[in-house]
Amino acid sequence: MKINTKDLLAGGIFILLAIIGLWLNTDHTLGDARRMGPGYMPMLAFLVLGGLGIAVIVAGLFSGPDPLASWTRLEMLAVPIGIVTFFLGYYASEATGLFTGWYSLGWGALAGCLGLSVAPGWRPVGLVHAGLAVFGLMLEDLGLMASIAGCTAVAALAETQHRVKGVIGMILFLAVLCYLVFIAYLDIRVPVWPVFLTQ
Amino acid sequence: MIQELLGNLAFGLSVALTFENILFCFIGCVIGTAIGVLPGIGPVATISLLLPITFGQPATTAIIMLAGIYYGSQYGGSTTAILLNLPGEVSAVVTTIEGYKMARRGRAGAALATAAIGSFFAGTVATIFVAASGPLLTEVALSFGPADYFSLMLLGLIISAVLAQGSVMKAIGMVTVGVSLGLVGTDVQTGQQRFTFGVPELSDGLSFASLAMGLFGISEIILNLERPESRNALSSKVGSLWLTKAEWKRAIPSILRGTMLGSALGILPGGGAALSAFGSYMMERRLSKYKHEFGTGAIEGVAGPESANNAASQTSFIPLLTLGIPGNAVMALMVGALIIQGIQPGPRMVEAQPELFWGLIASMWVGNLMLLVINLPMIGIWVKLLQVPYKFMYPSILVFIAIGSYSINNNVFDVYQVLAFGILGYLFSKLRMEPAPLLIGFVLGPMMEEHLRRAMLLSRGDVLVFVERPISATLLAIAALALITMLLPNIRKKKDAALAE
Repeated sequence: MKINTKDLLAGGIFILLAIIGLWLNTDHTLGDARRMGPGYMPMLAFLVLGGLGIAVIVAGLFSGPDPLASWTRLEMLAVPIGIVTFFLGYYASEATGLFTGWYSLGWGALAGCLGLSVAPGWRPVGLVHAGLAVFGLMLEDLGLMASIAGCTAVAALAETQHRVKGVIGMILFLAVLCYLVFIAYLDIRVPVWPVFLTQ
Repeated sequence: MIQELLGNLAFGLSVALTFENILFCFIGCVIGTAIGVLPGIGPVATISLLLPITFGQPATTAIIMLAGIYYGSQYGGSTTAILLNLPGEVSAVVTTIEGYKMARRGRAGAALATAAIGSFFAGTVATIFVAASGPLLTEVALSFGPADYFSLMLLGLIISAVLAQGSVMKAIGMVTVGVSLGLVGTDVQTGQQRFTFGVPELSDGLSFASLAMGLFGISEIILNLERPESRNALSSKVGSLWLTKAEWKRAIPSILRGTMLGSALGILPGGGAALSAFGSYMMERRLSKYKHEFGTGAIEGVAGPESANNAASQTSFIPLLTLGIPGNAVMALMVGALIIQGIQPGPRMVEAQPELFWGLIASMWVGNLMLLVINLPMIGIWVKLLQVPYKFMYPSILVFIAIGSYSINNNVFDVYQVLAFGILGYLFSKLRMEPAPLLIGFVLGPMMEEHLRRAMLLSRGDVLVFVERPISATLLAIAALALITMLLPNIRKKKDAALAE
């Protein structure tokens, strides 16, 4: 078999994006070639993308073999788990009614990333992104220092060789460095310490 | 003409030599060298990481610093390639072939000195080249109509895809994905919201910095974590930095050839440092009188590619400064930085922003001089830096990305955008879909749409305008030619072999 699985999937992604894009684009007036409306360029772009997707798939039938790295059963399972936990986290956060703004998105992202991390093979990708989600969730209420600690601690789990002492040292170092760069020098507008302490 | 050039360069130096600009040029060069030394973090990721920090600076200072990071990384990349057989940057891969062998023979110092001197010479020549050709090209560019611009951008996109690694069609697909992502936001002409899902944060489009940080920074971290760490021991003492007379004699012609080749290839869209380093190595191997020594530590194989990659990293600014078109991912970031600063890159920049244009060019030379000082005497420090384990580096990068992305709009939504693009970038890398063409497409997309609309309005909806105007027709013909040659299986195989390190 000469099937190039990576190319087939890549082509599939292109086609999927093109279909979604063309569908969303039905909201916009097309205009004509002379006076292009807001929908004209998207239409061209997505048609080209769809065409390229088909071409990539056709070429991928002959250019292989290039299989995907073989996944363990747990890794296969972790992808749908991650997607499900994302929505669970999102709607659970919405349902509590405690959160406004982007918090629900953050909770969803955190839950999704942790769900993905049940498989050891996905831990680097899952936990690094979980660190970002933790940062986003903590920043505006608990302040910059706490968010740095939270983000670093979660992201450190992605590497099995970390020791508690090393992580604490790294958090202190980063807290000082980021304070100097972002607060003392750049003076960005962000709470540094937890809001409930300073108010 | 010469006098005008000198006058402009003097003006540029007066800008580049202000205290603040020298300082930021220095900071850029130091950071650039550091990331060049460290494997696993490239210039694209670093520049996107530092974009938010530069927003508070005036545009000239910001661009001078970002440029310093870029050419600094070319310098630094060669240090570890020579000493540890570990290319810090893609463009230094070639240097490992002869450079590391030289180090094994006890001539590490000579190899490092050759690389630094070659780079400095090439940087100087390329800077003059940029200064001389910039205004000329600008004049040509001013005669371009909207149709010509559209064709030029199309050519740029296609060539950047053609020169990307792997399948050409996939790369063009990625360009198109980039163009599509660039459409998100308010339509400039009608004010209609496109693909924003009612999210007010998206009405200005997806965040450029978040996109770059996610696709390059975050996914780079994860790929490095998945790869087990491997480090070679320092091969030998650095030894004397001086070259013998015989070595000089062999290195000088290679430096000259490398400089010429690099300056030329740097202008090409999608070209840049890695391609010219490789091209120069192939050329040296063919032309050298010491062919039999190649593979065992021939000094030509260090002098040529090192000069070429540095020359190319300077001249790749030419299309950006004169036409406003980025040739590679780093230049796409520069366009992003300029746009955020409120400057539209393009042929009018020389007149509208002379201090930026000439200041940047002059700072390139100043920066090259600094790099010579930063690199040669301080090599020991850079090698020490390599001993910091990656497990301590990646959380720092992550925290900087998180704070940086937040600080642009003071909005957590931007952090979540990074998260989304990080996962997307990881998926792309697993499917061998190159993110660099996507970034270029994202930057050029909105400009292309504007020029397309204008061109079609002027031609009353007649598509033939693109082939009737001579400039536009020529550009499209080149694009078609490039595309066809790359789709021929024979040439594609050669390109793949060439790009496969």
